[in-house]
Amino acid sequence: MKIRTIALNTLGSFLRDKLIILFCALFVCIVLLMMTPMLAMKAAATGENAAQMQTVVLGIVSAIMYFVSGFGSMLAAWAAADSVATEMKTGTILAVMARPVKRWEFLLGKFLGVMMLMSIYVLLMFGLSYLLAWMGGERIQSHPWVLLVYPLVRYAVFAAIAMLLVTVLHPVFSFAIVAILSVVALIVAPGQQVSNKFLAALKTTLYIILPSTTLLSEDRFLSITKASLTQTGWLEHVTTIAYGLDYAFVFLLLAMWSFHYRSLKRD
Amino acid sequence: MAPPAIEFRNVSKIYRRRLAGQEISALQDVSFEVLPGEVCAFLGPNGAGKTTSISMLMGFFYQNAGEIRVLGYEPGDVRAKQQVGFLPENFAFYKYLNAEKLLRFHMALSGIAVSTGGALIQDLLHKVQLEPYRQLKIAKYSRGMVQRLGIAQALISDPQLLVLDEPTSGLDPAGRKEVRDLISSLKSAGKTIFLSSHILSEVEQICDRVIIIDRGRLVRSGTTDELLGSGDRVEIVANQLSNELGLYLAERGAYIERNPHSVKIVVPSAQKRELAETLWNAGCDVISINPVRSSLEELFLKLVGGGEPS
Repeated sequence: MKIRTIALNTLGSFLRDKLIILFCALFVCIVLLMMTPMLAMKAAATGENAAQMQTVVLGIVSAIMYFVSGFGSMLAAWAAADSVATEMKTGTILAVMARPVKRWEFLLGKFLGVMMLMSIYVLLMFGLSYLLAWMGGERIQSHPWVLLVYPLVRYAVFAAIAMLLVTVLHPVFSFAIVAILSVVALIVAPGQQVSNKFLAALKTTLYIILPSTTLLSEDRFLSITKASLTQTGWLEHVTTIAYGLDYAFVFLLLAMWSFHYRSLKRD
Repeated sequence: MAPPAIEFRNVSKIYRRRLAGQEISALQDVSFEVLPGEVCAFLGPNGAGKTTSISMLMGFFYQNAGEIRVLGYEPGDVRAKQQVGFLPENFAFYKYLNAEKLLRFHMALSGIAVSTGGALIQDLLHKVQLEPYRQLKIAKYSRGMVQRLGIAQALISDPQLLVLDEPTSGLDPAGRKEVRDLISSLKSAGKTIFLSSHILSEVEQICDRVIIIDRGRLVRSGTTDELLGSGDRVEIVANQLSNELGLYLAERGAYIERNPHSVKIVVPSAQKRELAETLWNAGCDVISINPVRSSLEELFLKLVGGGEPS
């Protein structure tokens, strides 16, 4: 009951957070701007250039979805860092922690509040995916649950890392580090071969250490093109999701451990 | 015998600034006890270590040495926190909630079934005179209203021990009196109250025990009577006093203060009868005779060298 109360209160504070509302408004504006050329292309398609135009349209749809998905990662990191930091900054944490609430319960409540926010975001993203596919004149070839579960697991990893960092750092630094980590995780994903042995070893090491956003990306199983979709077995799904959840769980445990030993005061 | 409600045993706290390589000693070997049912004032000038002590008491900070017990448990233990109500200095709140929702939130955190809490919330809001504003967002409250709401949230779980950091801060004289009356009624109900305040005259009126710290060290602790004395001098107020009689009294160790309409004469208690009779016999009208106690403010200033209490 206590964890649920903290989680619901955290969600309530997010839905009233002016900064988050501002970023979401900006995000909607950017998505709308990105949709404009897509609609223009679609309108300009004629019998001769239809196939070519369709390729461009699908490219734009993919770009929008990539942007939306990436924004979600940053939103998860920021919300997690801010939810703890704001409580410390305003001093509301003092009255809350004076209650019979354990420190890990408080942090878990905060984390679940972030995940509630991200669930709403994922549902909106899910709706947007189908809307864009419909507007682009295609249909999504993927299991709907993939579009819901994979991003949530990825966001859980980002939120847990940010939550760990914010127990020792300023929220802006925590957010920046998560943003850098996510970019590095993309760079070190298997792909191009590196000739330098040292760089190759570093790349492999970082790939092992960092959570692989590529592996946890729903894009692997999402196809808005007419090409056939790679069939993925249940075992691979379970392994990949467990891999992501494991990262989130370990970082959350580390965050709880770090939070247990820190002084609680008004920053 | 019941264990102390609060027990500090040789507690020390050092703040370390790792980057600057500095160590600041916030508390040094502090020991004191607060017994169940007592109202205890925790006093000290700015930077004395009061907030640090209260934070350690609530389990927000960890001590470097010594032992702290709250109702027999370690600070931060859920079993202790179930019986403790806390009002932080400058009570902070979720601005988007109203008083009722905030109290419901704290009820849920205390493990009280929210469905059964309607009457409790109404009673608490009535007690702190916020009932008409229960639906108003807290962001629109005045500082005094926020403080009263803070007191209400501290009382929500009917705690055995109340830790109040500046409970009258931001309140007008009428509000301060209400808080004093509330503390008195809680004391009558057998609650233990540990409070810090900078209004020493108020503290003197309501507290059984006083603990004074300065620069991280305990400088004095004891019951109010022990610290302020039980009246070894008396103050005699007379309507007039001739110069000759004044000289005679001064020779007997009296302190004389002449005011426009009266004369105050402070004399040792042992001589009060003799000197009062001398005044009567000299034709002076004795208006009153009262025992004189040191004030807490005098004691505080003497002990901490004029530092501002806060």
